[in-house]
Amino acid sequence: MPRGPRRASATAAGHSLFWKRGVKRKIEIGLLYARSGSYRLIAEACRSGALRAIAEVNSDPRSEIELAAIERDPAGNIDRYASLCDEILRTSSARHVIGCVTSWSRKETIPVLEKAGATLWYACPYEGFEANEHVVYMHACPNQHLVPLLAHVVPQHGANGFLVGSNYIWGWETNRVARDLIDDAGGKVLGERYLPIGETGIGRLIDEIRSTRPDFVLNNLIGTSSYAFIDAYAALGRNDPHFLPDRCPLLSCNLTECELPAIGEAGRGHLSAGPFFSRQSQDADPAAWTPGNSFEAATYASVKVLAKVLSINPNAGFADLPAIFAANSFDTPFGQTSIDPRTQHATLPVEIGRIAGMGFERVSRVERVAPDPYLSHYDKTETFGRPRLKVVS
Amino acid sequence: MSRAARIPNLGGAKAYVLHRPHATVTAILRQLTAIGLDATECWPELPAEALAADFVFFDVDLGFDQQFPWPAGEAPMPTIALIGSEAPGRIEWALSQNADAQLLKPVGNSGVYSALLIARQAFEARRRLANEIASLRERVAERQTIVRAVAALAAEGGDDERAYAQLRALAMTWQISIEEAARRIVAMTRQGKEDDDRTRRA
Repeated sequence: MPRGPRRASATAAGHSLFWKRGVKRKIEIGLLYARSGSYRLIAEACRSGALRAIAEVNSDPRSEIELAAIERDPAGNIDRYASLCDEILRTSSARHVIGCVTSWSRKETIPVLEKAGATLWYACPYEGFEANEHVVYMHACPNQHLVPLLAHVVPQHGANGFLVGSNYIWGWETNRVARDLIDDAGGKVLGERYLPIGETGIGRLIDEIRSTRPDFVLNNLIGTSSYAFIDAYAALGRNDPHFLPDRCPLLSCNLTECELPAIGEAGRGHLSAGPFFSRQSQDADPAAWTPGNSFEAATYASVKVLAKVLSINPNAGFADLPAIFAANSFDTPFGQTSIDPRTQHATLPVEIGRIAGMGFERVSRVERVAPDPYLSHYDKTETFGRPRLKVVS
Repeated sequence: MSRAARIPNLGGAKAYVLHRPHATVTAILRQLTAIGLDATECWPELPAEALAADFVFFDVDLGFDQQFPWPAGEAPMPTIALIGSEAPGRIEWALSQNADAQLLKPVGNSGVYSALLIARQAFEARRRLANEIASLRERVAERQTIVRAVAALAAEGGDDERAYAQLRALAMTWQISIEEAARRIVAMTRQGKEDDDRTRRA
């Protein structure tokens, strides 16, 4: 950046400009993502979005702040999230932490955040039914993923579902909501099975799905379990055409481009819902960066929103956020993003994508869906239409 | 597949928080609003509109019977006690209010959602039981009527067992409870007797 007495003393306005541009206020922020473990690919996507946004903020000559990442790596070990979050907050001036992939780890860090008066910027889809004032929820909650996904799938494929998940809160709670939705749609839950995180023995699960013949399978497995399951399901489809994606698709609320290399061709044709899927536009500026997936987009957005918050008030803490959210909207890869000051959840686009090679083709897209983390505004008729009359036998 | 009652949708439900202005009230109102309820704080009295509320939170530390537009312990909706001091006298008063759930003060970032769900379930279970007990009491009180109806039917010919079977068949035909059928038969018998008397006197 050019600086020097000549330029600075040119005018009074120039002087203040120099002062503003020359002396950036340095603000430490925490970064808490696993660099190894079962869901490493998601954590790396999150981390890269955050680092990208930090670099952009720091190189922006108009920005008055410089962000310094204080980073810790919990290595996917659930017991390390709270202690490492505490370490960030104790050993640095950071009061904002960008981090956590699983809901389990988010819930582990919340007591630490409450004690320290700090804020977690959580950039992954989650199961809803939470609105902690120490968390900003920057990715989708159920009315922005599961509800629209089932509303799309039921009329196309049928209402009878099989629910699978990794054995922790994301799977349990997402499947709980799915049970209610399937019931509202007039369908049946034909099975509900959980595997420990990291488990890849899925033969029995496949046998159960084969024998119950659902209309769709809701896949809430994460990481390596999910990759093994999708692979085995593709093999099942080759033996029995009922299990091909156009008849009985796998549905996901957290699958993005970042995991497609681990899944390969086995994923083709299956569906996922999220706020963002990467798209190579013909007329886009080839030099312009766009996120590769919604995790990268959401962490990038988190840092950009945080940077704007801190440029409004460099000392902004958790208690200052609702007023700032009420008065501002933010430019993010999701478009103009507002954050509900009551729940601290982001308004997001809702897109349903179909896996095609290493990307998703668009099935549908709705802009600016307001968050409803407790599904307080859910209406079954609006979601699934009027129930057809059943023959009583 | 049978399953427990689903988690109710609380969107648009009305809650009143009866507590003097305090950080605890702010925390409760924040949680209620985030969950999607319409929340109102009030002190020292519940307004008449609170009768139509879906939930009432009330302070135990400074609470007293006259704050409520209903007799002690007879709230027509689920109530949640806000307990600060655990002084036995205050707990005793809270018990007299028949609260359906409790929250310990100070209230922070959590607790309201589970209190709402537990209070609603406890209130509904209590109301269901009370209705069941009332209807059972009513039926017990009608035992004598049934005995009289059976005797009246038996007097027309046949034994008690047959008369009782006849009473049940009548209740089924009329689609009413056996107690109600017994009342009708007793009334008809009495009417019949009065008519006979009148005929005889005439």
